[in-house]
Parts: sequence; structure tokens; C-alpha cells
Amino acid sequence: MRHFWTSVASVSVLAIALAAPAHAQKILTIGMSAPDIGQVDPHKATSTQDKPTTSWAFNGLVRFKPGSGDLAGLEPDLAEKWTKSADGLVWTFTLRKGVKFHRGFGELTADDVVFSLNRAADSKASSFSSDYASFAKVEALDPLTVRITLKAPVPSLLGLVANFHGGNIVSKKAVEQLGEDFKLKAVGTGPFMVDEYKPKESLTFVANKDYFRGAPKIDKIVYRFIQADAARDLAFQSGELDVIYGRQDQKWVERIKTMPNVVADVVRPAELTMLHFNMAQKPLDDIRVRRAIATAVDRRQIVSFLGELVAQPGRSVVPIGYLGFDDSNQVYGNGEFDKAKQMLAEAGYPNGVTIKMVQTSLPGMLSVAQVLQAQLKKANITIQFDVVDHQTFHANIRKDLSQMVYYSAARFPVADVYLTQFFHSRSIVNTPTASVNFSHCAVADAEIDGARVEQDPARQKALWSAAQKKISDNLCAIPLHEQLLAWARKSGVDYGYKFDAAMHLGPTITELTTIK
Amino acid sequence: MTRYLLRRLLFALPTLLAVLTLVFVLVRVVPGDPALVIMGDQATAEALRELRAKLGLDQPIWRQYVVFMTQVLGGDLGRSLITNRPILTDVAAVLPFTLELTIAALLIGIAGGVPLGVVAARRRDGFGDWVARIVSLVGLSFPAFVSAILMLLAFAIHFQWFPVISRGWPMTEPVERLRSLALPAFNLGLIMIAYVTRVTRSGMLKALSEDYVRTARAKGVPARVVVWRHGLRNVLIPIVTVIGLYFGVLIGNSVLTEIVFNRPGLGKLIIGALEKRDYSMLQGLMVIYAFIIVLVNLITDLAYGVVDPRVKAT
Repeated sequence: MRHFWTSVASVSVLAIALAAPAHAQKILTIGMSAPDIGQVDPHKATSTQDKPTTSWAFNGLVRFKPGSGDLAGLEPDLAEKWTKSADGLVWTFTLRKGVKFHRGFGELTADDVVFSLNRAADSKASSFSSDYASFAKVEALDPLTVRITLKAPVPSLLGLVANFHGGNIVSKKAVEQLGEDFKLKAVGTGPFMVDEYKPKESLTFVANKDYFRGAPKIDKIVYRFIQADAARDLAFQSGELDVIYGRQDQKWVERIKTMPNVVADVVRPAELTMLHFNMAQKPLDDIRVRRAIATAVDRRQIVSFLGELVAQPGRSVVPIGYLGFDDSNQVYGNGEFDKAKQMLAEAGYPNGVTIKMVQTSLPGMLSVAQVLQAQLKKANITIQFDVVDHQTFHANIRKDLSQMVYYSAARFPVADVYLTQFFHSRSIVNTPTASVNFSHCAVADAEIDGARVEQDPARQKALWSAAQKKISDNLCAIPLHEQLLAWARKSGVDYGYKFDAAMHLGPTITELTTIK
Repeated sequence: MTRYLLRRLLFALPTLLAVLTLVFVLVRVVPGDPALVIMGDQATAEALRELRAKLGLDQPIWRQYVVFMTQVLGGDLGRSLITNRPILTDVAAVLPFTLELTIAALLIGIAGGVPLGVVAARRRDGFGDWVARIVSLVGLSFPAFVSAILMLLAFAIHFQWFPVISRGWPMTEPVERLRSLALPAFNLGLIMIAYVTRVTRSGMLKALSEDYVRTARAKGVPARVVVWRHGLRNVLIPIVTVIGLYFGVLIGNSVLTEIVFNRPGLGKLIIGALEKRDYSMLQGLMVIYAFIIVLVNLITDLAYGVVDPRVKAT
């Protein structure tokens, strides 16, 4: 009998020992505002919920320093070094040796880089193909050397091969083998690899122990999809989430800051919101009317409405800090109502004007547009909103149906992209080559095109400045405000870098990130 | 019996077809462009055109309709425009969670509503009646998302008895699963309790004033037996009707409950599809919702025969 009890005891001890994990797993749980993930494929990931994951699982030839959005500070990633020809058209990259793809997809070679960049340039496989339009040829000189030849110089080639959008390097073998499945089983070289996907619930990433910068300090990232803001905040409060996506809202940041052991991160890139004037329509074809509206707008009031913790006044038609940003031009928007009225009278509208505007019902955007509406009313400018849901808004403003367009956007941090998409005549809405030129602006084409191919950085900057000046002087659009991103984390979470900017809209989780 | 079933199912077909057509038209009347959603707002006009062509969105509406109908009648709901996964796969992955939630809510509704209604009727204008009426008023007037947040604040944040985030997967941890199910099921069940209480109460009030109840009482039948056998049995028909009718309401409200409690389920699927203008997914979901409702109606009809032998399925 004693034997029996001894064996029971030893079996139980053994069982308990086996059941207890060797060490407690370090799991970072992140709550995102979305019903589900779209995809992890970096060449197609455009939604806010998709983008952060690409920075965990992928590398580029070069990378943004984690936590920074500065193009001038790009550092080596998969490439160890590179050279460029004098005319800026031929770039040669030497790859780091011995970098392994996730899940046994082999070592990274020049072929994977060639495949990835060609894929990024292919409009069928990539959402960012237009960025790579000036690529003539990408070729592998040997397994560790890649040469890129351009048709025409681009403003920032390194930006195009950085760990962002199309610059992320994928495994050729995995793309070919997995086909459609690559979307959610994407294979890269980053510190974390895609693991289990639970539809509508979460996507798990596990540490890539073979990561070339060293094994990550946390074992797992659980990326949870929690769309309702209140539910996400409550789960963060109850300790079920370590990091959450926040509302871009002063009250939210203030409230998070009052919680114990919690850090609120308010970070760039900011979305610049501009008011675009449709110059193809009356009365906005008259620059005097545009100037009157611009004069009546009160940017300070908009910023204080949004909250100074999360918003700043816009200073140019390009967001603050982008390569080529210049804020030396006159910026309107100081709320001079009487002056605006007088300007309208001089333009032949003593009784004011009425402007029709398609506006989204998204509360964050609608409420600010209503502040704008109230401001302009004081200068006898009546805004009639056609309030529609967000998708309809996007569709209708692209059909040239709105006299003014209130639009927020962040882009790759180089002036060229912003200027081309919003102010180049090629991008005018409702044309075959349309992008988001809502104003029908066509005054700075020469400067924008010139800057794109200019090799001398000083001259390039001068051209971008000239473009911004022409667009500002012509009042195609006026900058209103810039809105920062907000995230929150438990103070036990240390990203391993200073979190100033989230190029991927969320925190980059690196091999150095720790959680207590 | 089999013929009766077949006939009922056949009658359901035109309903389903009408729903399909309505849904097809509705999702396309709403402006918005799935191609733009897929490619993002930086996509070129050319790339968008290509994608629209690939998705078949450049075809005339009538042709899209013919394609869609042929597909559905062949039992294929197609693929999601956005994720390109088969719709049935996506739905099958989350349907068990929605069913689990609604059925749990239904059971809570019956278990709570019937006794409350009976008590309320027996003690008309007494304390029990007041309690029942207040509970049912609260259940009816609180939007599901408000009561959900109040419950989370009380039971998940303050007392920490339940998790804020419901665990859907895996299916293998029964205790964790029940803990996750408790709050959402009760939140949704509150609505059902409200409806069932009302119907039971008014039905019982009527039944208890009938002659046969007076006769039973006069015969000296114990009060308990009078209430449960003579009273309640006669109220079962309206109760079953209400349950069947409001099962649809439950499924509708489950969308809100799922979002707030963050449960996987049809709710998240439908909200995601709406936001992304995923036409084919919306169509597929509507077909499935319509099918569930038709099915529940059928079950309700059959249940009449069970609870009341006087109703014969012929």
C-alpha cells in the first residue's frame, strides 16, 4: 500500500513538472482597432491594421531606425553596403551573408531581392507599383549582389528599398509555393514569424530564433482585433492587453495618462489635413474667393478643438518633416472673418457665397468639418454638407463631385509623393491617370517633375520649395492641421528604442523589445 | 409529415430568392468601391480599373446578377471580394460562435422569462410582478451595447470575475469557454427574458381567469398543478411563437454583443464586410441569415404540434 501512495506521489510530481512550462513565455498582446486582419503580405498591406505587422516580419535592404520616420537616417538592413553611379541611375547593393527566411524557406539570396522588387513594381501583385515605375531593371550579379538600374533618377531610391511598403523583401520560394495563402502565411526574414491565425480574433507571431540581429527577447506577439474602442480600453485596463491602438483624441490621451503604470505614446507620422479648392468650379475658380475662404479659416481654433496633445497647425502643403518640406510661404488660416467678408465683397460677392461639399460621416472628420463650417459662416461663407458614409465619400470626391474637399493623408516622407499625388496635373480626379488632385491644380508640374530627377540635393530642395510656393500662392489648397497617432502601453513594455514615429502606423516590435 | 416538411421548404424558396435579389440590389445601391478598398487610396486609376475588371465589377449589373444567381443556386456563395477566401469557409469558421451565443441567450431567456412571467401573473401587482416588470422593461429599453459595457465595467473590471475579451478559440477549454460566454450570453439573454416574461405574464393572466382553471381550483387541485399544468400549458403556444419570432431579433442583436465583447462571429464578419464594401460577402451573409430565419420559422411551426397536441401537422 505504501508503494502505491509513493508511486501516486511521484507520478503527480512528474506530471506537474511536465505540465509546467520550462520558463514562463513572454507574450506581448497588442489590441488593434479592426474586425480582422487583411493581410501580412507587405506589398499589398495598405490598411492601418495590416501595416504594423509588416515591420515585425520583414526587412528591407535598408531600414528606418526603429521609432524614427527620418529618411535621412536610413541604416543598413539586409544590405551591408551599397554604391551608386554618378548620375544616380545605377545602384549596387551587397547583401548580408547567412540571413535565413522563416520556417525553413532557406537563405536569402540576390534572387529573392530581384523577385521582391519586381513584384513590388507589378500592379497585379502590389499596391505600390506606381512608386517603382522608374525601375528599368533589377538583376542579381551574384548570390549576394543586386544591381538596380533606373530609367530616370528618383528622389529617394533608398526610401524605395527600405523596410516599408514595396521595399520589404519576401521569399521567392514561399510566394511561389504558397500562392494565395501567402497573404496570411507571409515569409520574411524579420524578428517575428507569422504563426496561428484565428479569423476575426487574432494573429499570433512567434520569435524567429535565427534572426540575424539576434534572437528576440519576447517569445510571442498576439495581435488581437478589437474594433470597439470602449472594449479595447476596458481590456487594456483589466490587464488583458499590453499595448493598444488609441483614439487620436485629446480626451483619450488625457485619460490614459491618468491610469497607473501606463505610457501614452503620441507619435508621427502625422496626417496632414488640407482643404482643397475645386478650381474647375464657380465660384472657386476665382482666386479672390479662395483667398477669402483661406483668410476666414481659423487653424488655431481647429487645433484647440482637436487638442494640442494630438494636433498641430499645418505649415505647408507638404507635411512637416518630409524631405523637401518648406514652411517659408504665407500660410492663411488665422480666422480673420471681417477681412474675408471684405475680400468677398471685392470679388463681387457682397452677400457671401455658398459652397457644396461632400463630407464623410466618420465622426472624427465630420466634427472638425463642422467647426470649419461654423468659422466660415462668420464670414458669410455657407457650407452645405452632403454627408455620406466614408466609402461613399471616397468614391464621390474622386468623381469630382465636391466643391471643396477636406482630406487627411500621410504619405512616404518625401515631398515628391505628396506634391505629385495632390498637385500634379496628371493626378487630377476623374481623369484616366487620376490620383487625389481634387483642386485641379496644375501650376507646379515643371518644378515637381524637375525635382524628381534632380541629383543635386540643394537644387532638388530649391525646386520643391518653388513648387510649394506656387501651390500656396495659387491657393490650390490650404493646410489646416496635422494629426498625430496615439498608442498606449503598459509601463513594463520597453520597445527597445525611443518611439517617436511609427512609419508602419504601429510600434515596430524588434529583437530588443522586452516586457516585464 | 415528410411531405409537409418538403412543402414548407419549397415555400421558403421564393422568400430566399426575393431576399437574394434585394440584397444584390441594396449592396450595389450604396456607393463605394471595393477596388479602392483593396488597393488603398494611393492606387493609380489604371490599377483600379484592372482590379475592377478582375473582380467582374465592370460588367453590366444584369450580368453580375445572372452570374451571382447561377452561383448561389448551384450552392456556391462564391469568394470574398476582399480576401478571396471562399465565403462558406469564412462563415463556417465563425458560425459556431454565433450559434453558441444565440442559443445560450435563448436558453437564458426561457429559463429566466417563463418563471418570472408565471410569478408575475400569480402575484399580479404584487412584489414579484413589479420585479418582473422592471426586469422586462430594462431588457427592452437598454440597447445591447450599453448594457454590455455596463456589465463589463461591473463584472470584468471591478470584480474581475470574467475576461473582457471573450476567448473564442480553441474549443477545448470548457471552463474558460463558459467564462467567456457568460457575460455576452446574459447580455443578449436579457432581451429574451424581457420578451418571454411579457408574453408569459399576459398569457397566464388570461389563462388563470378561464373557467377550466376555476373548475380545477374548485375540484381542489393543488395550486401548483393548476398553475403549471392547466395554466402554463395553454400559454406555451404564444411563448413558442415569441421565441421563434425573436430568434431573429437575437441574431441581429448578437452583432452588437459580439462587437462589444469581441467575440468571433457573424457580427464581426458583417461589420467588416460592410466597411470594406465586400459585396459578395454581404450577399453570402444575408443568404445565410435569411436561411436561418426560414429554418427557425419551420422549427417553430413543428414545435406547435409538440407543445399542443390539438395542432396537427397536416
